[in-house]
Amino acid sequence: MIYDEPKFLPGGDRFIEMELGDELNFDLNFLVHSLSAKIREAEIAGLIELLPNMASIVISYDPDLISFADLKSEILSHYRNMGSLEDMELLSPIYYIPVLYCDHVTRACWEDYCAKITEKEYDSDILVKLNDLDGYAQLARIHSGTEYWVAALGFYPGLASLIALDPRCRLTAPKYNPPRTWTAKGTIGYGGSVTCVYPANTPGGYQMIGHTPVPVCDIEQSLPAFKQDLALLRPGDRVRFFPVGREEYDYIESRVTAGDYVHNVAHYAKFSIRAYHEWLGTLDMKERF
Amino acid sequence: MTMPMIEVLKPGLETCVQDYPGRKGAFGMGFPPSGPVDHWSFRLANILVGNAPGDAALECQFIGPALKFKAPAVIALCGGDMAAKLGGAPVPLWQSIAAEAGQVLELGSALTGARTYLAIAGSIDTPPFLGSRSTFVLGDCGGLNGAPLEVGGEIPVGEGQGVPGRKIKQSCRPAVSENHRWQIEVCAGPNDDWIDAAGQQRFLKSEWKLSPKSNRVGFRLEGPEWTFTEKATNKAPENGSDPSNTIDHGYPIGAINLCGQTPIILLHDTLTLGGFINPFTVPSSAFWKLGQSRPGDIYDFELVSVDEAQARKRAINAMCSEDSIEQA
Repeated sequence: MIYDEPKFLPGGDRFIEMELGDELNFDLNFLVHSLSAKIREAEIAGLIELLPNMASIVISYDPDLISFADLKSEILSHYRNMGSLEDMELLSPIYYIPVLYCDHVTRACWEDYCAKITEKEYDSDILVKLNDLDGYAQLARIHSGTEYWVAALGFYPGLASLIALDPRCRLTAPKYNPPRTWTAKGTIGYGGSVTCVYPANTPGGYQMIGHTPVPVCDIEQSLPAFKQDLALLRPGDRVRFFPVGREEYDYIESRVTAGDYVHNVAHYAKFSIRAYHEWLGTLDMKERF
Repeated sequence: MTMPMIEVLKPGLETCVQDYPGRKGAFGMGFPPSGPVDHWSFRLANILVGNAPGDAALECQFIGPALKFKAPAVIALCGGDMAAKLGGAPVPLWQSIAAEAGQVLELGSALTGARTYLAIAGSIDTPPFLGSRSTFVLGDCGGLNGAPLEVGGEIPVGEGQGVPGRKIKQSCRPAVSENHRWQIEVCAGPNDDWIDAAGQQRFLKSEWKLSPKSNRVGFRLEGPEWTFTEKATNKAPENGSDPSNTIDHGYPIGAINLCGQTPIILLHDTLTLGGFINPFTVPSSAFWKLGQSRPGDIYDFELVSVDEAQARKRAINAMCSEDSIEQA
C-alpha cells in the first residue's frame, strides 16, 4: 500500500530513509520519482543527494546545515503539495535498445558458469518453462513487446532496474544461486520481475536472455550519447527493446567500436498517469503476444 | 608549471588515492562516495603539510608502498604504524617531515591499526572524476587510472608550501586499539523494526568478529543468529523469501546490511542499493575505528541516538583543524 503518512527512518548521523509505501507498484514508484524531482528543484540547503528506489528515497544530508526534523518537515510540505497522482505528467524519453536474444555472448557465460561453478539449466529455458511460453521466439516477442519504466538506478554505476509497463508482458525469473562471478557488459538480465542491461563486466545474479552491443554507461564518455552524462538512463525514462538478428547486431557493434554509434531516443515523449491508467483498463489480461 | 612526481617502487596492498568527503552528487547514479575509511587520520595528515583537510592523499592498507620522490617534498603519515623509513631512517607518525629528491619512503606491514595515510604538501593531482579524485576500484574510476598503485606508476603532485616539524597534539589523535577490541557506535534504523526485541538485544550485547572477507565495499561480521518480527516473516511476496529480504531500496553508508544471517557494514565503496534490510547504522564518528581495525578484531556495539552521533562527529571535525598542531 501507499502510506497515508510517509515514514522517515534514520540511517545514522547523515541519512534518512523516507518510505512512501511497502509494495512494488507502478503508481508508488511514479510518486517516488515525482517527489524526488520536486525535492531536487527545491535545492534545500544541507540536502546532499537522493537515492530514489522502488518505494522509498534515501536522503543524504549535512546535519551541520539542516536538522533531521527540519529536513523532514520541508520534504513533507513538498509531498503534501504534490497534487493528485492522476494529474501528473512528466517528460519520459524512450530509449530503443537492440537485442540479440539467446545470443552467443551470454551462452558462453552460462557454459563457463556450468563448467566452473555448478550445472544449471539454460537461462532462457528456465524463463520459457516458468512463464508457460511456447519457446524462445515467444520469449523474445514478449520481452520486446512492452515499454519498460526505469524504476531505479544504481547497485552498480549506470545499472537501471526496468519494469514492464504492459502487465501482459511481465515475466518472472529466479536468480542465480550462487551468483555469477562475471557477466558480460551488455547482457540483458531478468531477475524477479525486473529486467536490466548490464552496464559493465560485473558479477551478477539475473538470468541472461540476450545481449546488446549498445552501452548504457561509459565512464570514458566516448560515444555522442555520453558527452553530457556517463549514464544513459534516469528513473522515469523508458526503454523499448527490439529484436535484431546476428547481421544487424554485428553492424551495430561495429558502429559502437568505431565510436560513431548514435543512440536511438525519442526525447519528446511524455508520460501521463491518467492515460496509462485508462489504457490499463482496456486490456484483456488473457491476451498474449 | 612542472609537476613534482612520485614514482611507485612497490605498490603495497591496494594503496589508493582518496579525498574527503569523496564523490558527491552521483550516488543516485550508482557511484558511492568513496574516500578514506579513517577520515580523521586522513584529515590530520593533510593539515600537517598545509593542505586543505580533504585534499587528495594516499590510503595505505595493511601493507604499505615504497615510493621514490623525484623532487623535494614535505610529507606526513597518520593512522596505523607501518614502521615507515625515509632513506633508511625511521619516520615518526603524526608529524610533518621533509623528503629530499631521490629519497625512498618505505612502509611495511601495519604493526598497529590497519590504514596509514600519506599526505604530500601540494596534494596529489590526478584528474578528478565527477568532482573527486577518490579511487573507486569496483567502478574502475577516479584516482590513478581508476586503480590502486602499480609498480612503475607515477603520482603527480601539485606545488605546495609545506613546513616540516609540525606535530599533532597527543589529545587530538585517534587512539588505535592495542587489544584488538573496539566499541563501535550504532544508531537504530532504518529497518530496526524488522528485528525482534531479543534479536536487537543479542546484537547489542554480543561480540562480533570482523571477517577476513572484508574490504572497502563492506565489512562482514561473524556472530550470533538474528531473530525477526512479524514484519520480516509475514510479508508480500515481492519482498523476497528470506526474512532479511525487502523490496529494493537505497543503502546508507555505514548501514549494517543483513544478508540472510550475515551482517555486513557498508563502507564508502558500497553497492548503492539492494534487497536486504539495514536494522542499524554505524555513524561517521565510528569510521576511524573501522578503518583501523583488522580481520579477527572484536566489535562491541554501543547504541547512541542520532543527536549523540552528530555531536560526536562535530567533536572529531573540531579536531581536524590547525588548533590540533604543535611544534615538534
